Amino acid sequence: MQRDRDHKGIWIFGDYRNYFQNRVTLQLIAKGKDLAQKLETEVTVVLLGDQTHQYAMEYVAHGADVVMVVDHPTLKDYHIETYTRLVAKLLASWRPEIFIAGATAFGREFFPRLAKRLRTGLSADCVSLEIDAESGLLVQTTPAFGGDLLAEIVTPDHRPQMATVHPGVFDERPHKSSALGRIIYPEVEIETDQRVQLVRSRREQGRKVNLEDASTVLVGGRGLGSKERFQVLFDLADLLNGEVGATRPAILAGWSEDTRLLGQTGKSVKPKLLITAGTSGALQYTTGIQGAEAIIAINRDPHAPIFRIADLGLVGDAHAVLALLLEKLRKRL
Amino acid sequence: MKFRESLISANHNYLVNDMLSPGFVLGDPGPRDDFWFVADVVPPEERRGRIYGRLYDRRGDFILELKGNRTTENPGQTVLQSIQGGFRIHYPSGELLIKVHTRNFANGHLTFIHGKVYDKEGRLRMEPSYEGVKVHGKGQLALVGPYEFGESGH
Repeated sequence: MQRDRDHKGIWIFGDYRNYFQNRVTLQLIAKGKDLAQKLETEVTVVLLGDQTHQYAMEYVAHGADVVMVVDHPTLKDYHIETYTRLVAKLLASWRPEIFIAGATAFGREFFPRLAKRLRTGLSADCVSLEIDAESGLLVQTTPAFGGDLLAEIVTPDHRPQMATVHPGVFDERPHKSSALGRIIYPEVEIETDQRVQLVRSRREQGRKVNLEDASTVLVGGRGLGSKERFQVLFDLADLLNGEVGATRPAILAGWSEDTRLLGQTGKSVKPKLLITAGTSGALQYTTGIQGAEAIIAINRDPHAPIFRIADLGLVGDAHAVLALLLEKLRKRL
Repeated sequence: MKFRESLISANHNYLVNDMLSPGFVLGDPGPRDDFWFVADVVPPEERRGRIYGRLYDRRGDFILELKGNRTTENPGQTVLQSIQGGFRIHYPSGELLIKVHTRNFANGHLTFIHGKVYDKEGRLRMEPSYEGVKVHGKGQLALVGPYEFGESGH
């Protein structure tokens, strides 16, 4: 296979909503720089919105070579059809080789629509991106077949090669105040007619769950047995100044809110310590915790897959072990 | 597709011709008796825009020289007033000559310049445009580093 010489450059979609909490674009810039070095090309961040100056500067500070800005009041609110048409025009003109976005709620809606319009391939929720040394193609690794295996996917014939990546999979580069980049302002017509009308947008209230920044994370799965028994994780988290995460079965059982979901369709975390209790270790879940420095797993099944990735394993009733730990810690702390 | 291009600094930019720019120059800061204007590059450890210039009114009369946001010559008897984040300068009549103010973000800064500035021939060289300024005539719109003024101090 040969690289397509008509296409050049790595583009990242600038998903700046909920910045500074949402740092996925910065993480993708960092990964994009690694990929760009191998392809001898540049990283461009595409930024659509209104009054986006601050974000353009942040992206340069974190490593973007180029920021491509379409700044207009009509882009203040996200409209999928407007954004899709606009970005499709930019892609047709500039022809990047690779286009990556965060697998956020926004990216998960926008990127598939864009890929379909461009008739190109899209790998969603990737856990790894690399350049194949021989072909120069983007190798997109994503859990497949219900999470039973990891698939390495390439898009040999269509461009751009598109992928979405979970927040937290890659590390961002540090902020560099002395950085200088290029900024491009395309003269592009913005088509605003669309079939869906935004009536109102409202920020969701409630306590922010900051799993991605927590240095200690306690995760509960179905093995905890009930919502009342799940509460022990919150008690421990308070003591350890940590955050609580959950697997999908625990969330589907109503034991925790979905903002605490970890894994392929949830968040990825890289804490110093992660305690995972009553979780079997399905790949859809463990892809979200593989960045943890130390993992302690608790499960009554000695053959549970979770023990394969744990640094320390405890075989026993998850709630009983956690309750004992809580009792001991309360006496010490 | 047509496009415009500039440079962008992570630390500080001005808004000129509807583009971010780390710094820009109008005219030639060399000759003493002529119009020139410098919005200088701001080093990473600083936060405020730095403005230098030799300004004329719409009749082509010399009215003001600015060095580092301070007036050094003021034959037009303009009035410089500090404001939050910057300064503004008025003609004796009260009409605004130029306003410079810096907005601070969490990790960066953006300086906005407003006003109409003329050269020695009374030609308009700078005017308001949306949030920033639109500039006309000879100049350099994206400085890479701090401007190196000549021996004259300009």
